[in-house]
Amino acid sequence: MTAGLGSLVQAQWNDPVEAVEQCYALGWTDGLPVVPPTVQRVEEFLAVGQRPADEVIGGLPERRREVTVGKVAANAVMAGCQPEYFPVVLATAEAMLDPAFNLIGPSSSLGGAGILVIVNGPVVPALGINSRNNLFGPGNRANSTIGRAVRLILMNTCAAIPGLFDRTILGHPGKFSYCIAENEAGTHWTPHHVERGLKQGDSAVTVFACEGPRQVRSSNRPQTMLYATADVISSLGTSMASVGSVGDTSEVLRQGEVAIVFAGTSDVWEDWTKDDVRRYLHPRLKRSLADLKRAGALDGSITDRDEDEFLQLILSPEDIMLVFAGGAEDSHMAVIPSWGPKVSSTSVTRRIHWPPP
Amino acid sequence: MKKNGAFNLVDPTTQPLVASFNVAPRLMDIRGKRIGLIDDSKTNARELLEDLATILEDRYETSVALYHRKPSASKPADPQVVGQIAEECDGAIVAVGD
Repeated sequence: MTAGLGSLVQAQWNDPVEAVEQCYALGWTDGLPVVPPTVQRVEEFLAVGQRPADEVIGGLPERRREVTVGKVAANAVMAGCQPEYFPVVLATAEAMLDPAFNLIGPSSSLGGAGILVIVNGPVVPALGINSRNNLFGPGNRANSTIGRAVRLILMNTCAAIPGLFDRTILGHPGKFSYCIAENEAGTHWTPHHVERGLKQGDSAVTVFACEGPRQVRSSNRPQTMLYATADVISSLGTSMASVGSVGDTSEVLRQGEVAIVFAGTSDVWEDWTKDDVRRYLHPRLKRSLADLKRAGALDGSITDRDEDEFLQLILSPEDIMLVFAGGAEDSHMAVIPSWGPKVSSTSVTRRIHWPPP
Repeated sequence: MKKNGAFNLVDPTTQPLVASFNVAPRLMDIRGKRIGLIDDSKTNARELLEDLATILEDRYETSVALYHRKPSASKPADPQVVGQIAEECDGAIVAVGD
């Protein structure tokens, strides 16, 4: 039964090394070894998803590409996913193909976006997706392989191949794999997906085209932590403070978004809600016109007034995503600036069909 | 271990699906023509197009019939504007500034 799987490639190997080498020779990998996408293995994934292999979930019209459920499954296999992860990978692919995400931008731009995947809901404990220590690091199969599947899907189904359509100048390690989960059990804060309109019992995935995470260390006192975090978010040189985001703010959605991950223990924040955090941060996420001109984000010579006139780097408090995750030992934060302004790509949250049918 | 195993692999890649289309007739002479300009919104695109428009006006008596600045270089030109260019212009120039 190979209906709807598209073209098949006949392969022959005598040992696992040969199998891996053949996938390299076919040009299917991200530079690391992959699991060969045999028909049998791909069908195990499709059996979990219960969606037809040839169902088109979206496309990249600029590259004349369509992405099917079967192609997503093949790439999830190659990334090393378990079949049970497939509903998460499929929802992630659908979110990336949402027009608001504008995948053509973050999958081709010089800016070198990674696609951060944030998972919420009951699927997180069910699949053992890590939301604690070593949040962005290695060591957990679900995070590593779901995040890796994103890049393989981009490279193989969307032709976002480095040197071809992916024209990244620097990029960052999150382009290999960049998948985290919120530690909902560890906090009184409203989960990220519920803030975005889904129900508490829903499972969901959020995709965010962004730079790498920058760690913030301060103290265990909310005001000092947020003061330091606001300073990091407002630093010069990020995409949020570059000409693409602040050069012409006459147009809507010109500014970017930011995600902040809060590690530590929830009791530090017992008197704070996520909205309280946003209310504290938002007015501080700005920079003087003089500084933006000094850093080359705005053109023109500096006038006296420019020292006292400020430009908001994050336009609306809603554009601040807050995620509680990471180790409990200390209150570290991670600041993750968007790759570009919202008009170029806006983060998208999608419900995961979980548990699968 | 299985020796000489033969396997069918699912091709994880896609191929471009290119629908057939008719190319508009090329302009053999731009003298006196109405030109549409599309600015990709990156730095210097506007300057490049404006200078080009001036040169074309001086040398070939062209006129700028329409100027469209995309909201983002990553977004396609508004299809309505593309339609308008087809109606109102004899030719179009796209500038990719950076």
